[in-house]
Parts: sequence; structure tokens; C-alpha cells
Amino acid sequence: MASANRSLNRYFDINGWFFVAPAALLIAIFMVYPILQTLWMSFQTGKGMMTQFGGLANIKRLFDDPMFMLALYNTMIFFIVQVPVMLTLALFLAALLDNPNLKFRGVIRTAIFLPCVSSLVAYSVLFKSMFVQDGLINSTLLALHVTNQPIPWMTDPFWARVLIIIAITWRWTGYNMIFFLAALQNIDKSIYEASRIDGVPSWGRFFYLTVPMLKPVILFTTVTSTIGTLQLFDEVRNIMTSDAGSAAGPSNSALTLSVYIYNLTFKFVPSFGYAATVSYVIVLAVALLAVIQFYALREKD
Amino acid sequence: MNKTFKTSLAALVFSTSSMMAMAAAQAKDITIWCWDPNFNVAIMKEAGAIYSKTHPDINIKVVDFAKADVEAKLQTTLASGVTTSLPDIVLIEDYGAQKYIQSFPGAFASMNDVVDYSKFAPYKVKLATVDGKTYSMPFDSGVTGLYYRKDYLEQAGFKPEDMQNLTWDKYIEIGKKVAEKTGHKMMGLDPNDAGLIRIMMQSAGGWYFNDKGELNITGNEALKAALTTEGKLIASGITKPAAGWSNWVSTFTSGDVATVITGVWITGTIKATKDQENKWGVAAIPKLDVKGATDASNLGGSSWYVIASSPEKKEAIDFLNSVYAKDVDFYQKILVDQGAVGSLMEARKGAAYETADKFFGGEKIWQKFADWLSKVPSVNYGVFTNEVDSAVAAQLPALGKGGDVDAALKAIEAQAKSSMQ
Repeated sequence: MASANRSLNRYFDINGWFFVAPAALLIAIFMVYPILQTLWMSFQTGKGMMTQFGGLANIKRLFDDPMFMLALYNTMIFFIVQVPVMLTLALFLAALLDNPNLKFRGVIRTAIFLPCVSSLVAYSVLFKSMFVQDGLINSTLLALHVTNQPIPWMTDPFWARVLIIIAITWRWTGYNMIFFLAALQNIDKSIYEASRIDGVPSWGRFFYLTVPMLKPVILFTTVTSTIGTLQLFDEVRNIMTSDAGSAAGPSNSALTLSVYIYNLTFKFVPSFGYAATVSYVIVLAVALLAVIQFYALREKD
Repeated sequence: MNKTFKTSLAALVFSTSSMMAMAAAQAKDITIWCWDPNFNVAIMKEAGAIYSKTHPDINIKVVDFAKADVEAKLQTTLASGVTTSLPDIVLIEDYGAQKYIQSFPGAFASMNDVVDYSKFAPYKVKLATVDGKTYSMPFDSGVTGLYYRKDYLEQAGFKPEDMQNLTWDKYIEIGKKVAEKTGHKMMGLDPNDAGLIRIMMQSAGGWYFNDKGELNITGNEALKAALTTEGKLIASGITKPAAGWSNWVSTFTSGDVATVITGVWITGTIKATKDQENKWGVAAIPKLDVKGATDASNLGGSSWYVIASSPEKKEAIDFLNSVYAKDVDFYQKILVDQGAVGSLMEARKGAAYETADKFFGGEKIWQKFADWLSKVPSVNYGVFTNEVDSAVAAQLPALGKGGDVDAALKAIEAQAKSSMQ
């Protein structure tokens, strides 16, 4: 009884409210209000400022819109292929770099982490100039006789997607590796000693000790990477589209949901309501995928 | 008492009148947004200098930022409803004209009371007209031409006479010979960019929309012919794939490809490569094989718009009218300095249009462009050109691999329909 009373008192304590008020107010103005306003906007139809309430018209439009379907498909392809590739790579790199006997450990770590301090736009522009038809990558591959035809990185739908995946993997692998490295340092070394005495081979130690111990971090990196991939924008906008070009990559093969939202608002006849609807699709997709990931990686007692 | 009253009255009258004089002397600012420092920015500054001579109280401020930023900023500001941060005059590319006028009614000032629109190329006036009101001061034209490397073609056995009155089939035939004899591709082509499709389509009087602004895809002979031709071009192997604008520009500034087919505004870029002097010639673009096909078309081009809520609206309209609708000498100067072909028809009779261009081996290229300008078929750019363009560009790579044109047209129509809401 007494403790319930105390917590109630705490709830009505004016001083407490006073302290959180500024932050709460700012969050309300800059987070809650825009989110609700966007929800309201997603029920509006019409061109530019000529909007009216359209009920569920925008949601119906989603299902009849081949361009939206393509954007959703592309985004999912990037998500399904890129996130596992990147996280596996990051995990292996972290396990390798955790080895205290490795020479130049610090230098290699820094080198792998460095890409993620570069600006998204800057590295995208650099990638674009490296991967054009007669750019650095193609001339290197030709000189090494890896291929005898230049690879159409930016003019073929398949290779365009490959290029985007290469780019974001380069940019974000090091970032995720740092989380794994930090988590590895927290694993008690005596567990490994014990397993070594029991004769567990190194691959067994990795798969049956390291990976399960890293589960919370794997969950965290999976969720953040999912969010990042679903919001993919800068790379596609800067590598695949130009002011003159009308498609996001050949055959719109790199059109993501975020790029589509941008087009709907700034490039096409402004359809703010429909753009808001598409942005809520991202919100729902992220929420749904996060729930699935939490469920798949839950602690099984 | 009386005396003090008189003195103070005099002082009051004096101070009021001097304040009024100060207000009159205070210069009014006209702010203008545009995007190309070597082209429309420089031209607007020139126009401002001319106007300021006769109107010392007007101060023209030209703000220069990237085209995509001008468009995004204009669109968001108009949508927000806060007009104070808008300029007085803004440059808008012609394809987007109807989009802005119809999406933001009342945002732009119509100028029919002041400007005599019969003096301009008709297609430029029509594209900015809604319900009989015209909202633009027509500016530069994107009249198209075929720029070709005389030296490469000569090596392949072709003379400038062979480049006249071309059809696209003939163009491809020449391209194959050029590739065989010189190793140079005929043109750079960006498969994400539907620009060449638009050029070909408009040259035959077609567009994505009919005169009423309704979608016109599957029954559109001009579009079908354009898509078929672009498919043939890619399949014939005479094109060099380019990724993005700057990469496309480098296909000819580096001397890699033998021809360029685009709007007249590229002339400045071509002339900037000094080592290619005397190597270029200009001809009319090839004709499509459909009814109503011409050898004149348009790509891009833009016009000036006055913001209706601007406090300097009257001055802004007067400024545009007195320079862009009347000053023939101004058009001669921007033609020579920036290579801008304006759309005021009487400017074509000026001296600069008669001059021979040294860079093009003494050819009178401006007269040619002016002649083609009067032949550009007038089409309705409609509201949704960007949307359909995106749908068309998505089909181009498949067409280059021998995809079916009718299937592509159906896919374009389906996608365009869902975008046009």
C-alpha cells in the first residue's frame, strides 16, 4: 500500500514533470505532431495544394501502382541480399580481428571502420566515377583479364543492383563490425579456454560459443541494418539518378521506397498525400520486420 | 505662438516630403532564381544591367543554385503556403510548366494584359497557357540539331552533304560504317534518360498526351516509332552507353563519339573544347518514318515566371516585358555570348543570327537553328510528363535487347495511368 502510494505520488510530482517538460515539449512539436500530421496527410488526395479528403483512396492506389510494387520489390531485394551478407562479413571480420596475435590489428580495424565516417554523398559520387563504363573498376578488371567485356554496372538492371549492394556493404560493414568487436571483448575468455581443453575445434568454438553469446548484438545490428536498408536513399539518388535521367537505375532497377517518396514529392506532380502513405508503408515494414527479428532471436529458456 | 506653429508645420511638411522622396529613391529589389551560371544566370544578369540603365530604382538580384534545388525549394515553399521566402521571378523548365501552374493555382501571375504573346514561337506560349491565360515569359528554346564530327565522317567516306535530310535508318547505316572505319561509336546514350525518345516523338508532332491532355500511349504512332528507333539504335551497336549527365557529356567532349543529337543549348559545351575547332558540323536531326514527321524538335528549354504574391509583381512583369519581349539587340548579345536561341521571333532577323561561326568552320549555324525553331511541332506537354518519362525510361534497356515494342507501350500505359492521380 505504502509503496503504491509512493509511486502515485511520484506520478503527480510537479517537480518531476517540470524537469521533463522541455524535452517532452520538443518531442511533441518535432516528433509526435509531424508523425500524426503525416498520418492525416496520408488520407488526402490531389495535386499539390489542391487536396481533399480521399479516405482509403491512397491505400487502394498502392495496390494498383506498378511503380510502388517495383520500389517495394527492389527494397526487399536489397534487404534480403545485403543485410545477411554484410552482417556475416562483419561477424567474421570481428572474430578474425579479435585475435590478439594478429599483427597491425589496430591499423586493419581502423581501415575497415573508416568508410563509415565518409559522407554518404561523397562516397556515392566517388563510386559512380569508379564504376562507369570506362571507369577505374572496369579498366582494372579488363587489365587483369577477369572479364573481356566491360561490366555494365550502371546500364544493366542486374549489375546496377549488384553495384548498390557493393556500395552499401563497403560503407556499413565496418560500422557493424565495431559492435561485434565490442561484444567479443565482453565474452569471458575462460569459456574459450574450457572449450579448448575439451577439444572443441575453432569452427565449433565460433559457431557454438561466439555466435550464441553475441545474440543480443546480432539482434541489434540486424534491426538497425534493416531500418537503414529500408530507408536507402542517398546511394541510389547519387549513383543511379541524374538531373537529366528519368529512371532510378536502368529499368528503375534501383528505385527504392525512399527514392519513390522523393519523386512523388519533388519530381512528379506533388502528391503529398500519396507520398505520406508510402512513407507509412516503410514504418509498417520496419515494425513488422523488427517484430519478426525479435521473435526469431528471442531468448529461449 | 503663431510663428512657432508655422515653423513646426513647415518642419512637418518638409520632413514628410523628404521621407516620401527617400521612399521613392529607395531601390526596389527583384529577386530571381535560376540555375546555370554560364547560361541563364549570366543572361539574366545581362538583362538586369540593361533594365537598370533606364530604371535606376530597380535592383535586380540573381540567385544561382542547382536546378534540382530550385525545383525542390519552389515546390516545398509553394506547398507550405509561406510565400515570403519566394523570389519575385523564377525559371522553370518547360516540361514542368503545367505541373506548377495546375498544382499551385494562383501562385504565378498571368501576363496577358502586358505581354504581346503573338511575337513568340507558338509552342512556347501554349505550354504555359491554362484556360486562356499565359503565365510565362518565354525564354530559351531547346530546338534540336544533329552535331557531327566532320573528320570522323570523312574518314568513313561521308561528306557534309551526306548528313542532310537523314532518316534514322540512314543514320544507323552511316553509324555502322563510322564504327567499322574509325572505331568511334555514333552517339552516347544514357539508357536511364528518355530525352532522345522525346526528341523523336515531338519531331513527328506527338507527345505522351493528346491536345486535351489525356494520356496517349498505345495508339501513339510517333511514340511507337521513337521506341522502335531507339531499340534499333541500341541493338545496332553504334551507341556508347553513358551513366548520367556528366558521363554523357564526356562521350563527345573527349572526342569519343561522332555525333550528338540534342538541344541547341549544348552548343556552348561543344565550343568549349577548343581542340575540336573546325571539326564539327550541324545538320537537321534525322526524320522518323511516320506521317507528319519533320526534322525539327525540341529538348528542354525554359521560361520565366512571376510569383503572384510578390510585392514587386508589377515591376517584375515590366522588367521581363521590356527586355525579353522587346529588346532584339539583347537577343543578339545572348546568342553570341551564351549561345542562347530565344523564342522571340523577330530576334531571328537580327545581325547575330546571320553571322558565320568560326568554330563550326564558318557555317551559319544560328540561321539554321532559327529556321528549325519555326518548324518545331507544337505539342501539349501536359501535367504528367515526368511521370510518363520515368515509365518510358524503365522500358528502354529491355527494348535495346530486342524487347517487343507493343508490350513496352502497354507497360508504359499501365504505369502511367496509376501515376496520373
